[in-house]
Amino acid sequence: MRALVILWLAVPQLLTGQAPWQVSMQVGRAEHRVRDAGNLFPATGTVFGAAVGADINHQFTVSAEALGGRFTADTATSIDDHSIAQVLVLGGMKVRPWLTVQAGPVFRNISNTVARQQWTALRVGGEAYLPLGLEGVRGVLRGYWMPLVSVSGLPRPDVALAASAGVEWRGPRIGVGTRYVLERYDFPENAADRRIEEVSVLQAWVSAFWSKP
Amino acid sequence: MIRAPLLVILALVPGALSGQDNTADLLDRAAKYHADLDVERELVLLRQVISPNSPFVVTHDQRVQAYKYLGAALVVLGRTDSGIVYLRAALERDPFVDLEPQKFTPAELAAFAKAKRLTFGLGVRPIPFDTIDPRTERIPFTVLSTHTMALQVEVRTAGAPAGVMLFRGENDGPRELQWDGVMPDGRLAGSGRYELLLLGNSRLTQRADSVRLYFSIEQDHPPLEDTVPALGPRDLLPEQQPRSAARAGLLKGLGVGAAALLISQVLANSELEGGGGKLAAGVAVTASVAGVVAFVHGRRHREIPANVTANAQRQTARASSNTAIVQRNRERLAEAHLIIAPAAGVGP
Repeated sequence: MRALVILWLAVPQLLTGQAPWQVSMQVGRAEHRVRDAGNLFPATGTVFGAAVGADINHQFTVSAEALGGRFTADTATSIDDHSIAQVLVLGGMKVRPWLTVQAGPVFRNISNTVARQQWTALRVGGEAYLPLGLEGVRGVLRGYWMPLVSVSGLPRPDVALAASAGVEWRGPRIGVGTRYVLERYDFPENAADRRIEEVSVLQAWVSAFWSKP
Repeated sequence: MIRAPLLVILALVPGALSGQDNTADLLDRAAKYHADLDVERELVLLRQVISPNSPFVVTHDQRVQAYKYLGAALVVLGRTDSGIVYLRAALERDPFVDLEPQKFTPAELAAFAKAKRLTFGLGVRPIPFDTIDPRTERIPFTVLSTHTMALQVEVRTAGAPAGVMLFRGENDGPRELQWDGVMPDGRLAGSGRYELLLLGNSRLTQRADSVRLYFSIEQDHPPLEDTVPALGPRDLLPEQQPRSAARAGLLKGLGVGAAALLISQVLANSELEGGGGKLAAGVAVTASVAGVVAFVHGRRHREIPANVTANAQRQTARASSNTAIVQRNRERLAEAHLIIAPAAGVGP
């Protein structure tokens, strides 16, 4: 609801092009590990993505990110090879110059040759910036809790967290950065077994910024 | 009890007033006797006026008038030398004193001319209260020398070593001078105390003398704007990082790197035998390197270019504001009127 309000506030400025814009291209190396029924299914892959974001009145932020990639099982080729596609929308409000609280939905699709799994979650968390003293260089820490997670064919996980740490340089027009992202999902026990999933990504990205003079 | 002194004062006031009236009355009667050539009676009255025992109040101007008529009367009686002495006494007290040709005989005028030659006197008429627009009007001064002398007339800020030269040359008698209110630097005279300085060197007696007349000038103009004060530390951004900033940058970089490793080790579920430790190490290394670079750079380059630029912009904005204010103030000062008033103080 909060994200919707922020988005609603952002719409007029976004439409008139008065807000500073940011467009990013991402590439990353990712691991997707699943333990289920006592078996571990690790898979790795390369993910590509794009993101767009805007800063409204230097107080609100809104961003959307699309990410996807093909994951190959670390064991022999099997049906565990799969693809992940994800869309993340986040609205944020700067409560301090260095801290932004954020919330927004995540839509993820995991599919292989025989099945498709739909994930929907709501993220709530924040983003903190740590200027390192070099002009435009700063560390970025993120942490999110996902109180609402819906996974098709699975119960709601007991634990759903995401965190990332990275460093970025932002110039007047372009920026580059790298970050490590980890998502953890612990599903409830079922017949003395617990399904656990984790996605970890090392991302590099390049951004372009512009705003209406 | 209070009424008794009050009545005494009231009783004395008419007497004092009548004393003043009597001196003037005596002088009027003396002038009438002089016109009628009844100089004996005239002398009696005039000696009464100048006598130290005179019961009446005698003003400076009345005393000058008495000396003038006394000198003239003695000339009429053939006592020219004595007459000249009194005429000189009148001139010494007021160099502007003069004998009107229609009231005095040629012999009296000749004696007066001789008295002027013998008397070394410089004079300047008092400056009345006045307001002038210096764009169209001038401040008038009337100076006088009793006989031919090298005269120099100058307006100065009180106590200043030099000022505006109004006249320099030979002078005999009265001279009208005008000043446009502009000082040697080309600016209108500011509010303050000024002096009109007369320096004379007699061509007849080779004596030198000077006279000073003090007056004040007040500029009357629309209110002036204050200029923007100098920017203080609170108005400017710090242009250098504190020494601790470099160390803080290093710690933050290492902290971000440690956070990446911590996430991969603590937040990850150990049952998954992974957590992307190698991936986290990539960010940890990058962040740590950034921290080290920030530390080295911070130690070598403490200046903050953005703040230096911002401060320069603020200084430029202040300077341009002040330039505009100074210009507006100049325009207001250019419209100033000068209020001139006599000031206390006399010169030699």
